Amino acid sequence: MSKNSFLMVLNQKSVLLIFLIGKVLRFLFFIAFLFFLVSGAENLAGYNSTQSIFFFLSFMIIDTTSQFFFREVYRFRTYVVTGDFDLILAKPMSALFRVLMGGADVIDLITLPPLYAATSYVGNLLSPTPFQVFIYLLLLLTGLLITTAFHIIVISFGIITLEVDHSIMIYRDITAMGRFPIDIYKEPLKGILTYFIPVAIMMTFPAKAFMGLVNFQGLLSAIVIGGVFMFVALRFWNFALKKYTSASS
Amino acid sequence: MNKYLQVFKISFQQEFAYPLSFVMWRVRNVLQIFVVFFLWDTVFSFRESVLFGYDRDRILTYVFGLIFIKAFVLSARAQDVAGEIARGEIINYLLKPVNYFKYWLTRDISSKTLNLIFAVGEFILLYLILKPPFYFQTNPVQITLFLISIGLAILTYFLLLFIVNAIPFWAPEMGWGGHFLVTVILVEFLSGSLFPLDILPVNIQNVLSFTPFPYIIFFPLQVYLGKVTGILLFKGIVVAIFWIIVLWFFMNWVWSKGFKAYQAYGR
Repeated sequence: MSKNSFLMVLNQKSVLLIFLIGKVLRFLFFIAFLFFLVSGAENLAGYNSTQSIFFFLSFMIIDTTSQFFFREVYRFRTYVVTGDFDLILAKPMSALFRVLMGGADVIDLITLPPLYAATSYVGNLLSPTPFQVFIYLLLLLTGLLITTAFHIIVISFGIITLEVDHSIMIYRDITAMGRFPIDIYKEPLKGILTYFIPVAIMMTFPAKAFMGLVNFQGLLSAIVIGGVFMFVALRFWNFALKKYTSASS
Repeated sequence: MNKYLQVFKISFQQEFAYPLSFVMWRVRNVLQIFVVFFLWDTVFSFRESVLFGYDRDRILTYVFGLIFIKAFVLSARAQDVAGEIARGEIINYLLKPVNYFKYWLTRDISSKTLNLIFAVGEFILLYLILKPPFYFQTNPVQITLFLISIGLAILTYFLLLFIVNAIPFWAPEMGWGGHFLVTVILVEFLSGSLFPLDILPVNIQNVLSFTPFPYIIFFPLQVYLGKVTGILLFKGIVVAIFWIIVLWFFMNWVWSKGFKAYQAYGR
C-alpha cells in the first residue's frame, strides 16, 4: 500500500517538489523565528535558544513521523462519504490499519532523515547522558502512541459525524501548542495539555527528559497516560464502527 | 450591482450550509491565537522594559489584533477558484453575465463579514478569559489610516490568491500545492501572522518591506499601534498601493495567458 502511495506522488514530480520546498521553508522559517525570539528575549520560560530549538525539533519528530505514517487519515472522509469504506471493511485486513496507514507520505519520508540528523546535532550540544537519551527515546515512542490514539479518535469521530478535515486540523492546531515548551502556558491550560489532551506528554516530556528534567514518577505517569489514551481510542473506534450506517454505498 | 448583492446574500447563506465545518474553522483560529498569546505573555511576563520595540500592552494588543485582521483579510472564498479551474467548472461562469473577479470579490466580502461577526464574539470571549492589558489607539488619523491599510491588505491578498489560483490553467494537479506554498507558508511567516516581523534582523526587515507580504497583516497592526507614523506611514501606504497595481497587472496578464492555454479538462 505504501509503495503504491509513493508511486502516485513520485509520478507528479512538480507537486512533490512544491510541497517539499514548502515544508523545508516552513521548518527553516520557524527555526529562524525561534532563534531570533529567544536570542532577543534571552530565554523562553527559562530555556535558552538551543534548548528551545530542541523542543521544536522533538515536536517535529513526533509530528512529521505521524504524518508520514497516518497520511491516509486525511483521505478518510471520502471513503465514508462515498461508501468506499464498505470495501475496506469487507477485505480480510484490519480496517483500522488500512485507514490509518494505507497511504504513507513519501514527502515526509524525504524530510525525516535530515530532521533526525538535525535533532541529533542540536541534542549533542546539550551533552545528555546515555540514560537521558534512552528515556528520551522511550518518551518519543510514548508520544507516537498518543498521536496514534489521536488519529484513531479523529477517524472514529469521522464515521459518526462525517467530519474529518477540520477535526484533523484542530488536532494539529492543539498539538502545535507543543512546538514551545509547555511551561509557557498557565493553569488550567497547562494541566489540560498535560493530562486531558496530553500534548505535553507527547511533545514536551521527551525533550525535558533529554535535559534531565523528568523524574521517575513523570516517566511512569507518561507511559500510563499513553496506554490509557490508546485504550480509550480503541474503544471509541469499536463504538464508532457500530454506528456506521453505510448510507452512501 | 443588484446581482452581486444577490451573490453576497446567497454566499452568506451557503456559509451556514455546513455549520459544523464553519464553527471548527473558527475554533482553529481561536486555538492559534492561544498559542501566540501565551508565547508572548511568557516572553514579557518577567519584563517591565521594551523588547523588539514593544511593551507588554502593545504586544498583546498585536496578538488580539490578529483575530480581527485574520478574520477580515485572510478569510477568503476565492481560494476555491483553483479547484474550479482544475475541474473545468470555470467555463460555467464564463457563459454567464457576471464578471468572474467581481463575483469572487463579492463572495470574499460575504465570507469576511461572517468571519468578522464571529471574530467579535471570539474577541470578547478571549478577552474575558485571558484579561490581557490592551492598547487603545485614540488618534483619529491613525485609526483612519489603519482602516485604509486593511482595505489595501484585502485587495493585496485577493490579488495574490487570484494569481496563485491561475496555476491550474497549466497544471491542474498543482492547485493546492501553489496555495500551500504561497498562502500557507509564505503569507503565514512573512506577513506577521505568526509573529511581529520586528523580531527579525533589520536587514531582513528592510528586504521584506519591499515585498507585498508585510502589508497583509503586519503593516495594518503597526499603524493601529502607532508604531508607524509620518513619512514611514506614508511610504508604507505608497508601497502597498504600488504592489496592488503591480499585482493587478500581473494577475490580468497571467489570467489572459491562462485562458489561452486552458483546455477545460473535466468538461
